[in-house]
Amino acid sequence: MKKLKYIFSILIITVIVSCNDDFLDLKPINVPNGETFYANDDEIELGVVNMYDGIQGINSTRSNDNHGIQVEFYVTEMRSDNTETKSSEGEAAQFEDFAIEATNGIVDDYYRSFYNIIFRANVILENLGNASDAKRGQFEGEAKFVRAYAYFNLVRLFGNIPLVDRVISPEDKEIQFTQKPQSEVYALIESDLEFAINSLTNDSQYRASKAAAQALLAKVYMTTENKRYLQAQQLCEDIINSSQFSLETNFKDIFFNEGNSEVLFVIGYNGDDALNSQNFSAEWLNAVGRTSGVNYATPDSKEALDNFGGNRAQFSYRVDVTQPTKFQVVKYIPDGDSSLGIDPTSSNPTQAGNDWIVLRYADVLLMHVEAIMATNNDTSVPAALESFQKVRDRAGLTTPVTSITKDELLLERRVELAYENHRLFDLLRFNKAQEVLSNFATNTGRSFSATDLLLPIPQREVNLGKGVLNQNPGY
Amino acid sequence: MKTKDKLFKKYHFLVIFLSIALFSFSACESFEFELPEEGSIEDKTPPSAEFEASQSTVDFKRYNFANLSVSATTYQWDFGDGNTSTDVDGVNDYPGEGKYTVTLTASDALGVESTISKEIEVVEPEQPDTPDPVIVNADFTKLPKSSGSDCACSAWINKSLGDQGESSSGNGGSDNVLKLDNIEPDHAYQEFEVVPNADYTITVLASFKEPSGGAAPTSVLEVRVLSGSGYVGGYTPVYYTDTAEFPQDNWGYTSIAQVETAANNLLNESIANPVDDSYVTYTFTFNSGANDSVALFLRGIGGPATGGNGGDFGYNSGDEEIRIDTVTITAINK
Repeated sequence: MKKLKYIFSILIITVIVSCNDDFLDLKPINVPNGETFYANDDEIELGVVNMYDGIQGINSTRSNDNHGIQVEFYVTEMRSDNTETKSSEGEAAQFEDFAIEATNGIVDDYYRSFYNIIFRANVILENLGNASDAKRGQFEGEAKFVRAYAYFNLVRLFGNIPLVDRVISPEDKEIQFTQKPQSEVYALIESDLEFAINSLTNDSQYRASKAAAQALLAKVYMTTENKRYLQAQQLCEDIINSSQFSLETNFKDIFFNEGNSEVLFVIGYNGDDALNSQNFSAEWLNAVGRTSGVNYATPDSKEALDNFGGNRAQFSYRVDVTQPTKFQVVKYIPDGDSSLGIDPTSSNPTQAGNDWIVLRYADVLLMHVEAIMATNNDTSVPAALESFQKVRDRAGLTTPVTSITKDELLLERRVELAYENHRLFDLLRFNKAQEVLSNFATNTGRSFSATDLLLPIPQREVNLGKGVLNQNPGY
Repeated sequence: MKTKDKLFKKYHFLVIFLSIALFSFSACESFEFELPEEGSIEDKTPPSAEFEASQSTVDFKRYNFANLSVSATTYQWDFGDGNTSTDVDGVNDYPGEGKYTVTLTASDALGVESTISKEIEVVEPEQPDTPDPVIVNADFTKLPKSSGSDCACSAWINKSLGDQGESSSGNGGSDNVLKLDNIEPDHAYQEFEVVPNADYTITVLASFKEPSGGAAPTSVLEVRVLSGSGYVGGYTPVYYTDTAEFPQDNWGYTSIAQVETAANNLLNESIANPVDDSYVTYTFTFNSGANDSVALFLRGIGGPATGGNGGDFGYNSGDEEIRIDTVTITAINK
């Protein structure tokens, strides 16, 4: 009996001693896990690629998936005078009608996709301590570029938004739902891009580069309330003088000769690859994707291209053969068009391989003009004329230009960059959005008000915010 | 019991009538009392008026108003010039320049109102003429330096780029010109503020000694306008007005290599000896490009790279003295 008592005591002591934290806090050894991953350069590099994967989005028709940039045209181009749905059906038609509901699923998709991209970038920034000295600058530059890129889109679309600049947990309610003034969001964007410029080189079009950061920062400087045209001009001239980029000779090749030297930053897709393809190209066709056809060219944009586009018009829109009163976007056709000499990018159009160009050299040249024009209504500065002329020459509009007005510049941007998700942001930056879009709405029997220039904060987020996150006016 | 019944019977019409009357009376009263009570529960989302005004780019007298009111259904605009509107967003063409008070009254369906007023100033945007840049001691008067004796070179010294010029007399005055000595690396350097992308004229009034016929090569006056974007990293120019305040070193350009980098030069002209020692005006133009600050750099070259009579900067002027009376820089406005 006494012996048993001893054994029992030893047993108790053993059990007590065994119960320390390590014993309970087991890390899985056969699968990667978020807490222990990102321990070295190779793993962090995977995380870096994961950021671009977030922008690329998931190719699916499930509304709960994050589709990333694949749904961007809805919240940008279809809210401008450039595109509309083919049949005015469903929640997609809310965009062209300037009648977006706070419950619109596509708005929610874009919002959560881009905050998810920010999360992915913050994960990299959180784990930089595990990177080698040789790689750390590159990783940090890429993560900050991506974060700035995402915030720049969000702040222009949603206005005052929560500013998440670190990895947060579900308990961090305050940072998650407290909206910051746009000036604070822009301050983070600018410092992120300045860092990226200093730490990146021009090695890739598919990942962040110095030139991409410069071009984006130039646009930021001309968009923010505190405009800095001189710095924007210097950034554009740095890109121009680097001689690493040039206009493609044929307009069509910008989009169908992937990897060309006009592209500064592009989101890559591979045809017939379920995990790395896109479906927006199919959605823009007549009932090839899930919708009956969205992002169709408006008659208004067709007319602008016909009158001012030069040889760009034929590669920007085409007549929908099955519905000849409607016009489709040519720039990202997935299934080819033999009359235009365009090959398919995939055998299954809903798994298209067309890359999505975010920044290209023609945009930089026209931003250069914009920066020189600054607050004036026109310019005849030779450097501006030269950049402007290069873009027009390529379009076959070779008559020398001797002065450029602000409206002419806006129009040139419209026809050069049509259907590339620039139009709404250009109108806003040129302080033309309210005038142009209210006229457009009146002419097309729609109802526009100034509050339509911002998207609603997704209702789901407002609800989760429990009164902290405020809806934008007009919703 | 019977009597009671009788009594009741006797009065029961009256009782019923009174009851009904009483009931309807009190019912009416309660209707009147309760209905507004139920309908006037607290307005938890009262309207809040807000708007932003922006000048049209089509016509400066037109203003677009963006209505940013919350929880309102009807709007009343008073544009401050007698015009009004009940549209959601306002557009107004003002009669002319001036200050106007714009008032927006936003109300909801319960008749609750919120009002906001803002003053706008209608001004015709003008493209102002480019001002002439400010050049200090542009006529090379003998003035105080930050150290040592007075000098015609005051405000024109950058010790990293050469030796300072010397005070001299000429063109009918005394102590009124800058001399770049022969076989010396003498220079003049000054930073000044410009408007980006503007055209400027620069004139230099200078005289060369006639060649002596000696073995040394003749002097060349070099005139460069250097871009501010070529300043050393992190440098912010300060524009001094008093010659005694001007530092003599640590400017935006700190080496001749930086000066000679082609991309940093907005203007690079070489004036050969005209073999006539009178004062001649040389005129050039430059565009400021993507700079709000530039530097003017003048030096005598043509001599040997090394072995001159001054410091070692990799250049020397030739065999003749050069005298500069004034430099003038003016903006070209169309």
